[in-house]
Amino acid sequence: MDYPIWNLAMGGGVLIGIVAITHVLVSHFAVGGGFAIAVIETLAVKRRNPALRALAKRSSLMLILVSTVFGAISGVGIWVTIGLVQPAATSALIHNYVWGWAAEWGFFMLEVVTALLYYATWDKVRPRTHLVIIWLYAFAAYMSLVIIQGILSFMLTPGRWLETHSFWDGIFNPSYLPGLVLRTGICLFLAGAYLTLAALREPDRQARVPMIRLLAGFQIAGILLAYGGYRWWEHVLPGSVRAIFLGANPLLPALASTRHLVLWALAAYLLVALFAAASPRLHLWPTAVVAMLVGFAFFGGYERLREGARKPFVIRDFMFSNGILISEIQDLDQRGVLAKAVWAARGSDASQEAKGRAVFRAECASCHTIDGYLSIRKLVAPVDPDMLNGILATMHEEGNEYATGTYTHQGHVATDKLDYPLMPPLVGTAAEQEALGAYLLTLKPSHVAEASHAN
Amino acid sequence: MPTSLIPALDPAPLPGPPWLFQVLWVLTFFIHIVFVNTVLGGTLLAALAGFARGGRRETRTLFVEVNSWAISLAITFGIAPLLFIQVVLGRFFYTATILVAWAWLGMLVLLTVGYYLNYIAKFRLRAGKGAGAVLVVEAACFMAIAGIQVTVNLLHLQPGRWGAVADNVWAALADRTFAPRYLHFLLAAVAMAGALAAWVAVRRAAKGGDAAACRGMARFGIRAALVATLFQLVDGFWLLLALPEEVLRSFMRGGAVTMAPLGVGIMAGVLLLVVLAGISDPLAQPARVRHVAELVVGAMMFMIVTRHQLRDFYLASSRAGEQVVVAPQIGPLALFLGVFVLCIGLMVWALVRSAKDRPAPGERAA
Repeated sequence: MDYPIWNLAMGGGVLIGIVAITHVLVSHFAVGGGFAIAVIETLAVKRRNPALRALAKRSSLMLILVSTVFGAISGVGIWVTIGLVQPAATSALIHNYVWGWAAEWGFFMLEVVTALLYYATWDKVRPRTHLVIIWLYAFAAYMSLVIIQGILSFMLTPGRWLETHSFWDGIFNPSYLPGLVLRTGICLFLAGAYLTLAALREPDRQARVPMIRLLAGFQIAGILLAYGGYRWWEHVLPGSVRAIFLGANPLLPALASTRHLVLWALAAYLLVALFAAASPRLHLWPTAVVAMLVGFAFFGGYERLREGARKPFVIRDFMFSNGILISEIQDLDQRGVLAKAVWAARGSDASQEAKGRAVFRAECASCHTIDGYLSIRKLVAPVDPDMLNGILATMHEEGNEYATGTYTHQGHVATDKLDYPLMPPLVGTAAEQEALGAYLLTLKPSHVAEASHAN
Repeated sequence: MPTSLIPALDPAPLPGPPWLFQVLWVLTFFIHIVFVNTVLGGTLLAALAGFARGGRRETRTLFVEVNSWAISLAITFGIAPLLFIQVVLGRFFYTATILVAWAWLGMLVLLTVGYYLNYIAKFRLRAGKGAGAVLVVEAACFMAIAGIQVTVNLLHLQPGRWGAVADNVWAALADRTFAPRYLHFLLAAVAMAGALAAWVAVRRAAKGGDAAACRGMARFGIRAALVATLFQLVDGFWLLLALPEEVLRSFMRGGAVTMAPLGVGIMAGVLLLVVLAGISDPLAQPARVRHVAELVVGAMMFMIVTRHQLRDFYLASSRAGEQVVVAPQIGPLALFLGVFVLCIGLMVWALVRSAKDRPAPGERAA
């Protein structure tokens, strides 16, 4: 809210989602792929199997091109995107976890260097050295995940951090381990799915069979691990988070549908992987691509679910998606939200409409666009002035409930008890609330006609 | 100046002493810029290698091969300074990037395109095909990225310009230090890449490489470094004189703390010019070629310190009265240091082992 607002028709959250999902599909392969290639080359050396060696060699180019090139760039891409869309949240995370990120960077350096060395030393060093390098890569890549999972899961379940603000409490939060198990499974099945594409390039059909079977084994193990991790993850979520997408009447039906997609995609993936294990000769490009796509659907859906379940927060129970902290609600109710949101207020004249537009930019624009994603014009179209004022008054009242801790227990807010559990409360003075209402009414399609009639 | 546009300081305390973040920031930025210069200058020289009298293909091949790992390392080592700037100056940095959001985001596209073009050039050259056009586009991508970085850097230093840029994004380029600063980076990159090409050519020649090709590559590298350094000295003074008056005055009044790094940097530049001018046959003067590389890296090191000091002077008024609360996270800091030492150790081990470990006669290779 302190920062300039980047107006994006598709919505900032959607952009973050696109970049983040693209990145994780690559970065988790980088983790699982390293492990799978290490296993494959180890088997190749032990069994003196040239076909397995060739598979490891082919896969190593894929690892370089996908992980150290695209993975590294898309990883920076997440930084760039979240800094543009959610600067306050990014700053909060950086201030709490800079040493965690710095440690992860240490592992990432090792990961990149060993990946490049592994690819460059084929046919040059002795097998033992080559194996040590790829196992070092696998270790570094997994440790990178071990650290980053702490920060990712913190945003949904900060746990005891809300009271202690301790680095370790934040990292080892309630959904840390379940998420790590889930992601480990994802790494394994993505490795199996990607490397199957490399295995299918093996010209010797006889040699291809055990490869496909081995990679199907990675996928089956990964799917089962991911399923267990997912169920565990759901189990540890607070009731108010589960209420968003679980139960007979989920608060966000679209997210509940995503959950169904996630589970069905995983079930479909298990069937395809079992088919590959049972009939490796029949597992060719079409089924391999289907396996990859259902794997992507599961993972992309899960990420969407995890992000969506944070609503209305960006850091659960701490910072709302518009950058306002629970701890500053009362102060902003006194001083006015525009006293802080100087960028949103910039260039506004004294009119009620301009002031309302500034409040909209400060509090709503992080999720709602005017005519694009979550269009506010469409949302206010069916609402009459009295109803709108009632909604805004309730949302403002909910700010008091957040601030006074009406529904708070050990730092966690039971948002499902609120009338608007997925929206940040309306914060600011009564005059700002009134101005916002007046501005929103100008967006109603009938407004122009009414204004003309009044004149 | 509308300082009120500067976002409030993050309420969370700094998780370590400010000096530590500054040291880590400068140190990691230096490593980052070494790889950045290799990539940027190398791509430019590869694109311009057609002007070399000999060793054109060797020069191009050298840089596309080097870039295939140097780009990765430039990105990897860029992460750390990106982290530390956000800790220390996040509110200035985020604001600057949001004001030029599309360009900042577009940088990723340019980086992706540039990186994959490098692989295309690499595989084309390996196949004996030409790669001139690919290299020109790749160089354009990296030059554009450098321009975006300079723009954001200048913008985060000057909150007074934010309002104008918010009204018209092209105003981001309307800074009289933009042109000399941008040139400063390009010329430094070319000088470094030139020194690298010459040094590699000398080593290859010593190991029995094609003398004509090595001589062509070495001469091209030395000539590029010489021309770049010559322009750099002029451009450096242009940049100094283009600085805002209060910044320049504060810098000049900084005494030995500010004048020593700048003075040493300039001296290194002048010395570099003298050494470069004295090289008539690089293959016959390997020691001089090595000195060129040492001087380039030395000059860069001191200029990075100067750049960092200038940042403080730029932001002095905007940060006056900043009440930074420090609450060191000792355990997590120890974790980072432990991981850092471990990973550096393992990297060195892997590099050395990869370079030295070779199968005995009759033994299989991996």
